[in-house]
Amino acid sequence: MAEIDTAFSSAKPERAKPAELVQLIVFRLGDEDYGIRIEQVKEVTVTPDVARMPKTPPFIKGIANLRGDIIAIIDLEERFNLRPAGRPLPERSYTVAVEAADYTLGLMVREVPRPLTMPLSQIEAAPEFVQDSSTRDKYLEGIAKLPEGGIIIVLDMRKLLTPSEVMRLPGKVASS
Amino acid sequence: MKTRDQEYRELFMAEALEYYDSMSRHLSELERNPNAGPALNELFRLMHNLKANARAMGFTDLGEIAHHLETIFGLIRDKEREFSGALIKVVFAGVDALGSMIRAVGASQPLPDATALLENLDRVVRGEAPVLDEAEAGETEEESNRKMELSDLVYIQVKKLDNLLNLVGELVIDRDRIMTLAQELDNPALLATAQHLFRISDDLQYSVMDARLVGVGVLLNKFPRVVRDVASAEDKEVELTLSGQDVQIDRNILQIITDALLHLVRNAVSHGLETTENRLKAGKPVVGKLTLSAMTERDDVLLQVRDDGRGIDTEAVRRKAVERGLTTAHTAAGLDKEAVWAFLFEPGFSMAQKVTDISGRGVGLDVVKLALDSLGGQLRVDSEMGVGTTFTLVLPTSIAVKGALLVEVDERPYAIPLMHTDTVLALHPGQISVVGGVMVTHLHEQSVPLVPLRQLLYDEGVEPLPAANKSDIEGTQHVLVVNYNNRRLGLVVDRFMRQQNIVIKPLSKPLDTIDLFGGVTLLGSGQVCLVLDVPALTRLFLAKRP
Repeated sequence: MAEIDTAFSSAKPERAKPAELVQLIVFRLGDEDYGIRIEQVKEVTVTPDVARMPKTPPFIKGIANLRGDIIAIIDLEERFNLRPAGRPLPERSYTVAVEAADYTLGLMVREVPRPLTMPLSQIEAAPEFVQDSSTRDKYLEGIAKLPEGGIIIVLDMRKLLTPSEVMRLPGKVASS
Repeated sequence: MKTRDQEYRELFMAEALEYYDSMSRHLSELERNPNAGPALNELFRLMHNLKANARAMGFTDLGEIAHHLETIFGLIRDKEREFSGALIKVVFAGVDALGSMIRAVGASQPLPDATALLENLDRVVRGEAPVLDEAEAGETEEESNRKMELSDLVYIQVKKLDNLLNLVGELVIDRDRIMTLAQELDNPALLATAQHLFRISDDLQYSVMDARLVGVGVLLNKFPRVVRDVASAEDKEVELTLSGQDVQIDRNILQIITDALLHLVRNAVSHGLETTENRLKAGKPVVGKLTLSAMTERDDVLLQVRDDGRGIDTEAVRRKAVERGLTTAHTAAGLDKEAVWAFLFEPGFSMAQKVTDISGRGVGLDVVKLALDSLGGQLRVDSEMGVGTTFTLVLPTSIAVKGALLVEVDERPYAIPLMHTDTVLALHPGQISVVGGVMVTHLHEQSVPLVPLRQLLYDEGVEPLPAANKSDIEGTQHVLVVNYNNRRLGLVVDRFMRQQNIVIKPLSKPLDTIDLFGGVTLLGSGQVCLVLDVPALTRLFLAKRP
């Protein structure tokens, strides 16, 4: 589905070369751009039919059949309270299937995610005060500044998607 | 399909041929080194096993030869005979005869006559000189070729079969999808191919399932020893009867219930059966009877552990349940005996007065329950004071494919394994009464609580469900009555869809912590369908009833 722009065809970037490149899959949550390293992305697809899953927090939209694998689909806008008022997810949304440690999860996003290649040096560690004050602190790998202006918040999926993290249930009381 | 008889014959053949190969190998070694102890022991063991197998299959002559050879190897081991001279020739002739007899069994031919050989073997056993017929010494080329035959059976790791079964499961899901698509597209050629695919994958599925089946006997036959040990530790006399060893079941299911069965058997000997003294007092025979039997019932396998002991003291269990705070004295008083017995399977519930080596540590019957729940099986208890207790494990024959009833709630399908379904009802409001905020209907003189599945699944929080109101019940109510641990519960659904065989896929992380679902299955339409776990649903209802 996603056409990945392979900017570096030579698989081995040489050490001497200062510009080590990273490839990100960039998508929009709320009014901000977020990125995930392409190694952590398995597939990008139109969101398949999602079956609602009882006894799960509201940001878990349910489960879907992705090429025979049953994966949980989660809505990060809802998870992080980023949903702009009056703008529900569109009928046709997209799902970024990301690989956590030993399972796959689908992230529901509102626009077609796009690939982006940039020098690693462009990603800066998130400023201390953001790290401390944000609910997203632990999952931030850094913030990428784009030459043409604007920023991309780079998420570290492996920290975002630990089972306890996913199942941490804001506003939801344990069921049993 | 092969008959069981044929299958046993093949199993016998496979083992016998292996024994035969080993015998030839060890015999050659013994010939080189007549004092090779390990080879001698091995030959003795092989003869003994072959003898037992042959006799069990009714091949008397084969058994006799093996018996004689066993005796001879025993004598050599005890240094009463020497592996030399004429004895070697007779022994080799004996082993060759075993080989040709085994092959005759495999070819379903009559066994060759062995009178002369048996007489010679007798002579050797008695210490006389055998009568050797020189003409027999030469071996035809055909005979030596036969010795190179490979067995018709292969041993295979269960892991490989598991993998095969998983793949077949995936295939079946895709097949159903293709079938649906073909019907939608309405292309005759595609439809014909899809139907062919359907048949082939069906056959494949059953072949793989069949390959995984083993006789329950492989587990049951381990019990005589267990029973003996427990009985002697408890100083009781127990007669164990086994039956239905040839009932077929998936190997992994047998593996999963091994501990449960072990527990039930130990429990029966140590708690179920009375002491010799008490048996005499009660006017019962001194020797306690324990029966382990397997049988098939529809698509299920029943495993029964029956003792003729003291039976369950229902009143004692009732008191204990109240003591342990599992129920109130008031509720307990109104429970029937089946409901009381269900407490026996609560975690940590033990009726033992003292802790022994064998049982009575407060860990117990809940292990049995858990094992059965994980398989989607059922447990039945039947007991009469002073007469005995019977535990019946109801097990699926195969793990992979389960019959399920598909129901619909809010336009979403849910599957409920048939193992736990009792009956379906269409009730008009007049047949439903509301008792203490719970809808109740009467079925076979028993009151069954009803709960809308929608509420059970989607009402969040720990607070009780909203009380039902008689005036809210409108129109026909579609009710699926499920049964768990002798408790019946009616689930109100929007409609019944159909009955179908489903392949259950386990939920992957992080959703696998939600115990309400036994897994998911994919329907032919490609739709994801949650498989409900009846034990968890029942527990949820009990926890949240108004």
